[in-house]
Amino acid sequence: MKKTKAEILIVGGGPSGLALAAELKKKYSSNIILLERESIAGGIPRHTFHPGYGIRDLHKFMSGPKYANYYVNLAKKLGVEILTSTTAFDWVGANTLATTSPNGLLEISADKIILATGARERARNSRLIPGSRPEGLFTTGSLQQTTYLNHQYVGSKAVIIGSEHVSYSALMTLHHAGVKTVAMVESNHKTQSFGALVLPTKIRYGYKFFTNSKLVRIEGKGRVSSVVIERNQELISIPCDTVVFTGNWIPDNELARRGNLEIDLETKSPMVNSNFETSQKNIYAIGNLLMPIKSADQCVLETRKIDL
Amino acid sequence: MLNSTENYFDFVVIGAGVVGCAIAREITKYSNSVALIDRLDDVGADTSKANTAILHTGFDMKPGTLESRLVREGYELLYQYAKDNQISVEETGAILVAWNETELAELDNILENAKANNYLQARKITSSEIYEFEPNLNPGALGGLLIPNEYIIDPWSVSISFASQAIKAGLKLFLNTKVLEINRDENTFNIKAENRTFATKFIINAAGLYSDKIDDLLGFDELEITPRRGELIVFDKLARKKFNHIILPVPTKMGKGVLISPTIFGNVMLGPTAVDVKDKEDKRTTQEGLETLLNKGNLLSSSLIEEEVTSTYAGLRAASNQSDYFIKYRKENSSITVGGIRSTGLTSSLAIGKYVVDLLKQSNLLTNEINNMVNFPMPVLGEAFNRAYKDEAKISQNPSYGEIICHCERVTKQELIDALNSTIPPQSLSGLSRRTRVCLGRCQGFYCLSEVRKLIAENSKEVIS
Repeated sequence: MKKTKAEILIVGGGPSGLALAAELKKKYSSNIILLERESIAGGIPRHTFHPGYGIRDLHKFMSGPKYANYYVNLAKKLGVEILTSTTAFDWVGANTLATTSPNGLLEISADKIILATGARERARNSRLIPGSRPEGLFTTGSLQQTTYLNHQYVGSKAVIIGSEHVSYSALMTLHHAGVKTVAMVESNHKTQSFGALVLPTKIRYGYKFFTNSKLVRIEGKGRVSSVVIERNQELISIPCDTVVFTGNWIPDNELARRGNLEIDLETKSPMVNSNFETSQKNIYAIGNLLMPIKSADQCVLETRKIDL
Repeated sequence: MLNSTENYFDFVVIGAGVVGCAIAREITKYSNSVALIDRLDDVGADTSKANTAILHTGFDMKPGTLESRLVREGYELLYQYAKDNQISVEETGAILVAWNETELAELDNILENAKANNYLQARKITSSEIYEFEPNLNPGALGGLLIPNEYIIDPWSVSISFASQAIKAGLKLFLNTKVLEINRDENTFNIKAENRTFATKFIINAAGLYSDKIDDLLGFDELEITPRRGELIVFDKLARKKFNHIILPVPTKMGKGVLISPTIFGNVMLGPTAVDVKDKEDKRTTQEGLETLLNKGNLLSSSLIEEEVTSTYAGLRAASNQSDYFIKYRKENSSITVGGIRSTGLTSSLAIGKYVVDLLKQSNLLTNEINNMVNFPMPVLGEAFNRAYKDEAKISQNPSYGEIICHCERVTKQELIDALNSTIPPQSLSGLSRRTRVCLGRCQGFYCLSEVRKLIAENSKEVIS
C-alpha cells in the first residue's frame, strides 16, 4: 500500500469538514488533506435545492448546492487538498487511516485527524417497522437525490414520518417532485420543529398532521399501497404510494467505533471534550457526527471554536 | 422427431432453488439436453435466499435418516466446491449454550447424537470457556457444546455458481416460467408453462415450497408443504466483532430455536422465528415476530440488542408432512420428486444432486460423463476476504474496482458492471443485490439507490425494475 503524510487529515467533505479545513488553513497554513467518499465534495446540501442555507454563517439566504459550492471553492482556493471518491475504511495505526479510491489503496498518516463523517436518517428497517417490503420508501436524503440529482420518478401520494426540521425539507422536495403529501405522522404530541411551521404548511400543502401517532405497518405488494398508524389505540390506514422516513438521526460513527473511540451510549456519537478532542489524543470529531443534529450553518459556526 | 424440436429436453428440472440448481448441474455432466425452469426471475430467489447461511455438520440430525447422510456428504462437497469457486466460507464454529439445568442435562444426549451421525469433533465446554470464546453473551450460561466445524457461508453465490457453471456446459435455464399444467402421453410429458411449453421424457420436481403442487400436477398427493415463516433481524456490521461463533440454543420439541449468527457479509443475524402459515407468498414481517426476536435476543446478549438494526426480513421454509427428506423416484411415472428439503438444503444440495443422478444411473437413464464443469471464481462477497475495494491488484488493472458506489457495503462500480454482464444477469434490484451486496447495508439503498439505477440503465439490455 502506498503511504503519505499530512499535518491534518479531515474525513468528510460536508459543510463541517470543508469549513474547518478552510479555517485551519487560514490559521496555520499547514498541509491539510480532506477525504470525501462521493465524487463531488459538499455533503448533504449538495442535493437540497430549496433555499435556507447560509443564514447564520454567511448572512445570506441561499440554496443547498450554492452553499456547498461556496465552501468547496473556499477550501480549494486556500489550498486544501481534497481527495474525492476516496473512502477511509479502517485504521492501521493510532494516527493512520487506510483509504481506497480509483487510484488504489493509500495509507494516510497525520498529526491530527478530524472526523466529520456526519449523520444519516434511520431508514425503515432500522426503525423495525413491520409489514411487506414494497417499493416507494425513502428517507429525506434518498428522496432529494432521486428528485434533484437524478430526476427520477418518486410517486403521487406521500406520507411523511416525523416532523423535525428535515421533515419540512422533505415536504418541499415532495412538492417540487409533483408528489402530494397526504399526511405527516409524529409520535410526540407536537411538531419537533418550529410550531410556526405547522399551520402555514398545512394550508399550503394540504396534508393532515397526526400527532401522538405511531407507524405500525407498511402494506402493499410491489408498490406501497398504505401505511397503518396507531393513535389512541385506534388503527388508522392511510392510502399512499410513497413513504418518507425523516429525521431519527444516527451519527455515521463507523470510523469512530473502529478506532475504539469512546462512544456515548445514548446518542452513539464519540465523546469529546470542550475542544472537540475524542478519547484518543489527536483525534477530533465535529459537525453532525456529534448529536444532536444541527443545521449546516450551525455546524460551520461550531468549527470556529476548535483550537488545534 | 421430438428430439429435434427446441422445446424438447431429455430432462426438465422444475425449481431453480439451490437444490434444483445442484441437481440440474449434476445431470448436465451426463446430458446435453437439460432444462432448468423457475417461476421467479432469478435462481435461488425464494426459500434459498432467506436461510441462515450455515454450512451444517449435521451433528443434530436424526441418525440413520437420508437427511443425515446427505448433509454429512454435502458438507464435504460444498466446502470443497466453495474453495474451488471462491465462494466465501468463514470457519467460525458453533457453540450450543445451555442456560438451565434441563438444557445442561440434554448436552450429553446431543453429543451422543452427534457421534451417531459420525460427527466426532464436538466436545463439551464449561461456562468459563464459553465466556472466553464469547464475552458478549449475557451471564448465566451453565455449559455448552463446541461444534468446531459449523461454518458460515455466502448462501447466494452458491445457487448462482451451480447454475452458471452448468449453463456454460450446456444447461438451458428458463426463468419467469411458471408451470401451469403437466400432461403425459405415452412416454412424453408435455409441460405447459407461462410463455412456453416443454416436452420431456423425465421430470425432476425440486419446486421447494410448491413441490406439493407440482406433485399434484404429476398426479400424486403424498407430499404436503406447510410453509413455516421465519423472521430474522440483521444487526449492523459494528456488531460483528462482538461474536466469534454461531450461538445455538439447545433444541426443543418446538424446533431449533433462535440463534445468533455472524454472517459472511460481516453482520450479525438473530433468528429465526417459526410460525406455520398458509400463504406461500406471505413474507411480511410482523410486530409480534420482531418483538419475540428482540426479547429473545436480549436474553442471550443485551450487548447485541444495543447495536443498530440493518435489516429485517421474513423467509418461508418448505416444511412438510414428511419426517425426512422426501426424495421419491417414481419409475413408472419417469419422475423424481425432491421435497421437504428444509433449512439443511444448502449444505446437502450437492449430495442431493449426486443422489438423484445415482438413481438415474441405476435405471440407465444416464451413463457416462460427457460434460466437464469448469470452475470459475465468483466475486468475493465475504467481508473477511479480499473484496474488490481493498484489492490493490484489481484496482490497478481497472480503477473502477476502487470506485465505491454503495458505501455501506463498499460495492464498487466495476463489481456492479460485472454482475450486470454475468452469465445469469440479474433481472431485478434484489438480484443485483444478491450478486454484489449493493443496497443491503445500513442505509438499505437510501444513499446509492438512484446512482445504482443509473448504472443498471446504462449496463443492462433488459429493463430492470
